[in-house]
Amino acid sequence: MQFSYELKDSYAEVKGAGRLNMVSAPKLREVVAEVVAGGASRVVVNLEDTVFMDSSGLGALIGCLKAARQAGGDLRISGVQAQVKMVLELTNMDRVLTSYPTAEAAFGDD
Amino acid sequence: MSTNPDRRRAVVIEDDADIRAVLVLVLQQLDFEVTEAANGLSGIEAVRNTNADLVTLDLNLPDTDGIEVCRRLREFSDAYIMMLTARAGEIDRLAGLDTGADEYLNKPFSLREIQSRIRALFRRPRRPAQSASDELTRAAEVQKSLLPQEKALLDDYDVAGSFRPTRSVGGDFYDWYQTPDGLHVTVADAMGKGMGAALIAATVRAVMRSVAARPGIADAFSSASSTIAADLDQSGSFVTLFHARLHSASGKVSYVDAGHGLALHLPAVGGARRLASSGPPVGAWEGLQWAPSDIYLAPGDSLVVVSDGVLDAFASLEDFTRDVERAVREQPTVDAACEAVLRLAPAATAEDDVTALVVHRRPSAGVKAGAEGSLVRAPELTDV
Repeated sequence: MQFSYELKDSYAEVKGAGRLNMVSAPKLREVVAEVVAGGASRVVVNLEDTVFMDSSGLGALIGCLKAARQAGGDLRISGVQAQVKMVLELTNMDRVLTSYPTAEAAFGDD
Repeated sequence: MSTNPDRRRAVVIEDDADIRAVLVLVLQQLDFEVTEAANGLSGIEAVRNTNADLVTLDLNLPDTDGIEVCRRLREFSDAYIMMLTARAGEIDRLAGLDTGADEYLNKPFSLREIQSRIRALFRRPRRPAQSASDELTRAAEVQKSLLPQEKALLDDYDVAGSFRPTRSVGGDFYDWYQTPDGLHVTVADAMGKGMGAALIAATVRAVMRSVAARPGIADAFSSASSTIAADLDQSGSFVTLFHARLHSASGKVSYVDAGHGLALHLPAVGGARRLASSGPPVGAWEGLQWAPSDIYLAPGDSLVVVSDGVLDAFASLEDFTRDVERAVREQPTVDAACEAVLRLAPAATAEDDVTALVVHRRPSAGVKAGAEGSLVRAPELTDV
């Protein structure tokens, strides 16, 4: 799974297709760290093409959220698919990782 | 090329045909399967093809310098490399060893010396891959020894657990220990897999045991979780944790579920119910609190706790709950029930560690539900 990012007007959108697991989780952390270090601390991780997430993947999202918050921004997720939604609900992390239907909507309210 | 996997393989890289023939003979006497190469490049090829255990390498080769051959061999091979040369002098020797040779002999050499040195080399097991796998094997033994070794001997209850890591060791564990009025059980899943997760799992187990004597589960869990969270903060990890205290006389089970979410109550009569989670995993976020909840195990009821490695085999929680319930109820014993749950995530396809724990309260005499000696709740096997 490879990740790419795009800088939008008010946020950065990070995208990756495939399985967010022990192998790809460190890559997500790297990309988000790079984005945040570059000054974009409002980050949307677009998960519309992420078909699977395990605990390492969830750990990466949490780590990225902490990094964004530390830089004064936030991290939100969008386009969450069924399996990822199940993991978020099961672990109660949907309370912390706010999910939006689309990347545009994630920071649409502020 | 012969491919007897048990025989040690050697490659002789030597341009002088006479010396080469002698070396081949010497190695065959030591029971090596020998391949010859008259120059550096074909030697590298031969080492690659045979996956050799030993290489004798002449430094004066017609095509490539022996030191360079050695450096290239080290890019892919763990073979013992013995350099042979007529060049004298300390500098050569050091250059040879620095590029990854294991032994260095000056020509002319005695055949007995070569044989002794080769025997000595093979007496030192030094392959990093080998020693790492030995360590993993040992770690797996240690992890296994941390699982409950003794059966829980409780009147009216049967308890069993089963754990299968994806690698040698894993981040899942289950634990139980008896208390004066019943039993404490824990099922946890540390983020990730392998050795890192296993170290965290071992820590969590120890911390949970350290609060066993505290009177209330809320207080005990609060104390344990803050210790665990502090440790996890450093590693950027988290752990999902289900911890329960059973009061055996009443059947009362007080539990805390920290982001685990895969504990089921299977009543003797009626469909399975997934227990509500009390909050996110430990270490996932700051300032978390988890409130305990209670359920009651009536005679014939079971508590089943599973790790998410089993869930991965299912498209939805409903499917998961249904199949776990069925797997447990079809089995005659709690041990068989645990194995049946693990089979829902076949080892060939499972990407994560899998764990199952079952606490079953035996049906009281006369009210025995289901088939003789089974966990089945007959007759209405309803889907959830």
